[in-house]
Amino acid sequence: MTAKAFLVKDKIALIAGDSKLWTKPAAVALVEAGADVAIAAKDTPRLAEATEAVRKTGRKVLAIPTDVTKAAQVKTAVRRVVAEYGRIDILVNAGDVHFFQPFLKIRNAEWNKVMDYNFNSALSFCRAAGKQMLKQKKGRIINIVSGLSERGMVNGATYCVAMGSVLQLTRVLALEWAMKGITVNAVGTGWFAEADRPIDEAVARYIPVKRYGEPDEIGSLVVYLASDVTEFTTGQLMFVDGGVMAHA
Amino acid sequence: MPVEKKGSLEGQVIIITGGGTGLGSAMAFRLAEEGADIVVAARRLAPLEETAAGVRKRGRKALVVPTDVTDTGQVNRLIEKTLGEMGKIDVFINNAGIVRGDRPKTLWDITDQDWRVGIDVNLSGAFYCSRAVSKYFAERKSGKIILVASGEGFRGQRNSFMYNTAKAGVVNLTRVMALTLAEFNIRVNCIVPGFVDTYDLQPEATQKLMASTRATWRLFLPVGHMGKPDDIAYLALFLCSDASDYITGGYFVSDGGGLTGGFATTGYAPVVSLMEGLP
Repeated sequence: MTAKAFLVKDKIALIAGDSKLWTKPAAVALVEAGADVAIAAKDTPRLAEATEAVRKTGRKVLAIPTDVTKAAQVKTAVRRVVAEYGRIDILVNAGDVHFFQPFLKIRNAEWNKVMDYNFNSALSFCRAAGKQMLKQKKGRIINIVSGLSERGMVNGATYCVAMGSVLQLTRVLALEWAMKGITVNAVGTGWFAEADRPIDEAVARYIPVKRYGEPDEIGSLVVYLASDVTEFTTGQLMFVDGGVMAHA
Repeated sequence: MPVEKKGSLEGQVIIITGGGTGLGSAMAFRLAEEGADIVVAARRLAPLEETAAGVRKRGRKALVVPTDVTDTGQVNRLIEKTLGEMGKIDVFINNAGIVRGDRPKTLWDITDQDWRVGIDVNLSGAFYCSRAVSKYFAERKSGKIILVASGEGFRGQRNSFMYNTAKAGVVNLTRVMALTLAEFNIRVNCIVPGFVDTYDLQPEATQKLMASTRATWRLFLPVGHMGKPDDIAYLALFLCSDASDYITGGYFVSDGGGLTGGFATTGYAPVVSLMEGLP
């Protein structure tokens, strides 16, 4: 149950990017806090599932099949949201494609794809939706990143660089738009359970709370950062990670 | 200045607190080899005498001043005695600290007194010493202060209350001191060691504790092994030398990659193909 102060009643949220983990929980958390949403992602059963989950709550939802790696399609998607709802109050960049290989085995095509899905998509959405938010003189941008935006990991070259780029973009835009009514923050994530991958017990033991997170658990922080009470909070990275980032 | 002279400490006087054992003694030996005269200060006399002997064996002057860094009177005496006997001070290294006392206690067993002692030795002592020596440095319009924090100052560890809290304080004490003293041409920097194997430089009780925790530490070391005392001593040499004259307020980590990792234990190396990852 969302506290009254954090409600985003009748605000318009765009959840953008391809992610196994974050699209549905971010969308559902925002509609449960009172928002109407649009979801821009590749036309897959995952998009349909997220859309259906939102529809069940009774709030408005708009599914916009988008190749988020194409800037032109991103622009069109943002235009579509504005045409349909009249504005965009909240942008959540949820892009998160996993890819881990030894550095010297990574092909250019793979590197570019991962950068496209995890970073360039966020960049394009910040451009297109940011323009709209500047017109409105108000907006909330929330970039979902991994703890690997800050920490390194073996075989993680592409992924870590992409996530680190999103984090730096967060900080830069926070400063550039600080006087323009737009806050830009990042939600940092640790180890989360994926439906199609087994839990690694050694990793689970390493997490201070001794379990993986459930993707739904990021929802409340997304809502908090989307709400009106966080007007003074910008450029920040806040973690939902069961304590992983706190220990050695 | 020829390159090989850069970094030499010929004729410098350097005070090292906690200089009897561990990293303190390693720094004393290395800096002495680079030409510095060394003043070692700590509570127990015997280990100090050992370090001093090692310094003299390297052909440098050594002075032993038994000092409790948590006692301002004794700290002031350390400065006076050094100036009296050695004539000057060029660098002050705040290295004194205790990891967790002899018996780690659980949260609810830690007394107010335990807390004060832990914070005093690891944080307040560095403040008392830096305050005292900076007065002399300010009059002389030059000097270097080095603080020694720990990777633990950037992360948490179960049951390690005083140490981790104090070491985080040391990092920011460095910054405040650096800004305050910059106008007096005093440089203040912080060394951040990771897990360093000082086994050979420790008394027996500490050796036992170290041996029992070595295996655990490996899990947090991307390079797969603990640091050598000299890994830190060379960092101290860099920060003592004129190679670092334009550097102040910084922290310098030598930790085998520990703080760079920390999202999974060492050895974790996932392989996920793009086919699996793509939407």
